[in-house]
Amino acid sequence: MNSIKTVAILGASGTVGSLSGGLMAQNGLKVYFLSRTQQGSERGLQKAISQARSELIAHNIVCGDYEHLLKEAVAEADWVVEAVAEDVGIKQQMHERVEVYKKPQTIVSSTTSSLPLSELVKGRSAEFKKNFLSTHFYNPPGRMPACEITGIEETDPAIVDFMKVFLVNQLRRAIIPVKNIPAFAGNRIGFVLFGRITSLVLEFGVEMTDYLIGPYTGRLMAPLATIDLVGLDIHKAIIDSLNKHTKDAMHSWLAVPGYINTMLQRKLLGYKTKGGFYKKLESGKYVFFDPATCDYIPAIEPHVAFVEKAKHFTRMGMYREAFETILSAQGREAEVVKNILCAYVAYSYSLVGEVTDSRVGIEGIDDVMSYGFHWAAPSIIVEVLGGPDATARLLSQNGFEIPDALKAGLKSHFNIINSGKYFVAK
Amino acid sequence: MKNDAVYIIGGYQTDFARNWARENKHIAAMMREAYQGSVEATKLDAGDIKAAFIGNFAGELYCTQGHLGAFFVDFDRRFAGLPTMRFEAACASGAMALLSAMAHIEAGIYDLICVIGVELMKSVDSAKGGDFLGTAAWYEKECVGIEFPFPKLFGKLGDEYDKRYRLDNKYLARIAEINYSNAKNNPNAQTRDWYMSFDHACTTGKYNSVIIGRIKVTDCSQITDGAACLYLASQSYAAKYAASRGLKIDGIPKIEGWGHTTAPMEFARKIADSAKGQYVLPMTRKAITDAYHRAGIKDCWELDAIETHDCFTTSEYMAIDHFGLTKPGESWKAIEDGIIEKDGKLPINPSGGLIGCGHPVGATGVRQLLDAYKQVAGTAGEYQVPNAKRVATLNIGGSATTNVCFIVGGNG
Repeated sequence: MNSIKTVAILGASGTVGSLSGGLMAQNGLKVYFLSRTQQGSERGLQKAISQARSELIAHNIVCGDYEHLLKEAVAEADWVVEAVAEDVGIKQQMHERVEVYKKPQTIVSSTTSSLPLSELVKGRSAEFKKNFLSTHFYNPPGRMPACEITGIEETDPAIVDFMKVFLVNQLRRAIIPVKNIPAFAGNRIGFVLFGRITSLVLEFGVEMTDYLIGPYTGRLMAPLATIDLVGLDIHKAIIDSLNKHTKDAMHSWLAVPGYINTMLQRKLLGYKTKGGFYKKLESGKYVFFDPATCDYIPAIEPHVAFVEKAKHFTRMGMYREAFETILSAQGREAEVVKNILCAYVAYSYSLVGEVTDSRVGIEGIDDVMSYGFHWAAPSIIVEVLGGPDATARLLSQNGFEIPDALKAGLKSHFNIINSGKYFVAK
Repeated sequence: MKNDAVYIIGGYQTDFARNWARENKHIAAMMREAYQGSVEATKLDAGDIKAAFIGNFAGELYCTQGHLGAFFVDFDRRFAGLPTMRFEAACASGAMALLSAMAHIEAGIYDLICVIGVELMKSVDSAKGGDFLGTAAWYEKECVGIEFPFPKLFGKLGDEYDKRYRLDNKYLARIAEINYSNAKNNPNAQTRDWYMSFDHACTTGKYNSVIIGRIKVTDCSQITDGAACLYLASQSYAAKYAASRGLKIDGIPKIEGWGHTTAPMEFARKIADSAKGQYVLPMTRKAITDAYHRAGIKDCWELDAIETHDCFTTSEYMAIDHFGLTKPGESWKAIEDGIIEKDGKLPINPSGGLIGCGHPVGATGVRQLLDAYKQVAGTAGEYQVPNAKRVATLNIGGSATTNVCFIVGGNG
């Protein structure tokens, strides 16, 4: 494989397919947008145009449906991006169809992170498997440059290396090589924490939970608002996948509270159904899902002294002082915030070597949490908590095992000065 | 003791793609990061800093905060009592802080001054922001009732070129394309991940609407939030700094020349005054030639790059002939011949300029000098112009009312 000039996006009506395909078109590649219907592909085209803020990228995009255009598109493509529904059976069928038409050496990648890759290519030829890998883009790819990459056992390592270079140079992605374990690095860490935070809702309610674990703790968006953005159905699917395919000390955090199932039954899925944990009223005000009554309740506008003080320090760019404020605070609310911060650090460092190559230390996990979730990197949280030794003491006090990687004091290319954007004064 | 030379000891630029207003940050947080980043970048001893000069256009308007120098003393306990000042000349506010810092060093008052340019602008919507920017022109005469006064004024600059010499808008589109392309190599540029092409810049439509006259969205630099910080030092401090790092002082860039002029506030009067001359904006030309004279160079061909004030494509078009790359009115030739491109004979805005890098108004002049420093020091990374030894900057305030040109060199 010398170059990629033509790409076929399968599942181009969806967000990942259309927006990653749009980036490719922006960079001069010819891109086929394929989905079940012509209209679906054209909806994807509009998303790509909106992302680029230019109608001209349409010149590089050919829209069509599988029935009429799959053969031509796949036959011409140097790279086929499979971004169809997160279902093993659907993906298997699509790969089977792709194999019929694709050229030898055409690269095929799936955008899934949560399904077992080897199952997706069951029944495919050795040549197909040799050129198969996962390129897991984060949403929206125009703002989140992270892309996890991994192959299966049969993947030619040269293909993975080629794609790493291509994705960096052509698509300006931040590449995170990961091991082939479902959920990879980012979703494994992010959704374990989301799992725990959905349980906190039972104690604190939606509004107070997001207030306590809010952006000032090192994230662009509060966690429950993020789940609304992702969609509760996707959240549940990833949690289920983690429950099925992973096993570690944090497994109990993946328990799904009953109210989540109620929300799913009532189609309260988040932004896409105009109601999830949050619901915006016509007045512009928000109401919040109440797990006790399974109804929406008005805002309580929480005010906790240590949170407000920490936010003030963050607003002034004094991130260490903000976290010193959290650490010195007492009471159940402070205990919960410290527990989540400890869990994030402990879990992230414990996965070095399991989800990413131990030779890259914490950097791969730092990259995916920053460039994929827009959370402060675990190593930066260690810094604002006072450094590795102080963090280790904090972990012990909070009942977490101290990961070997933290003891090793792994360095990162992130520092507090260049990580200010991950601390939001809200 | 009077000093003859003013040296630059490096600095730091914040990421101009960031939205500090959305982060709910105070403008002082941006100053703090710029300062902390500059100490990290230069490894100098903060205790050596004798004064802090702040360039800022309109903190009072955008974030209800003036008196910005006072925030600096909170950045380090050793700064208690430190002299600080704030400077304003619209988009040339950063250059004002630099010029004053230079003068203080030349006069022997201080030997190391921290200069910060800063602006937080995303705190208001574009209409309100456009109105605030109008205070950089003659507000009552040129801005009342006009939503975006500066696109109108710089559109008139293009109109004047068209009237005197003819101007094909395709050259303006090419200027936009080059700046966006250069910005892709700059990790702190606002537009580094934005889509742009020559065809897009030529297109008019939903995503490239006409602001006014010949000025479309792609002809404009974008307002943003940002700060830049650098250190100006006396020769004795620079020598001490170099020696402590095993460097020769010749390896530390210095300001070789500068020019500073002020034209009448009203744009129409500028144009009327220049009607009989060759240069459309003679006071801008004078700032440049004064800098050449002070630097002891005869023309632009002794420069290796230029960081100019492309607040609009028309202002870069103007800068090309005013710097002397072409005869007056023939800027298009330098564009057509590829002279201003990154690999051209005299690259303009390898950083991406204001169009590519972003234009946080009060920060721009300092950012330009920092980029000139980086080029001469050989630390500009992916946007380094090979073997750059001398780089000029042009920072203008208002409709080319305040004009400041610096020439940085000295990489021995």
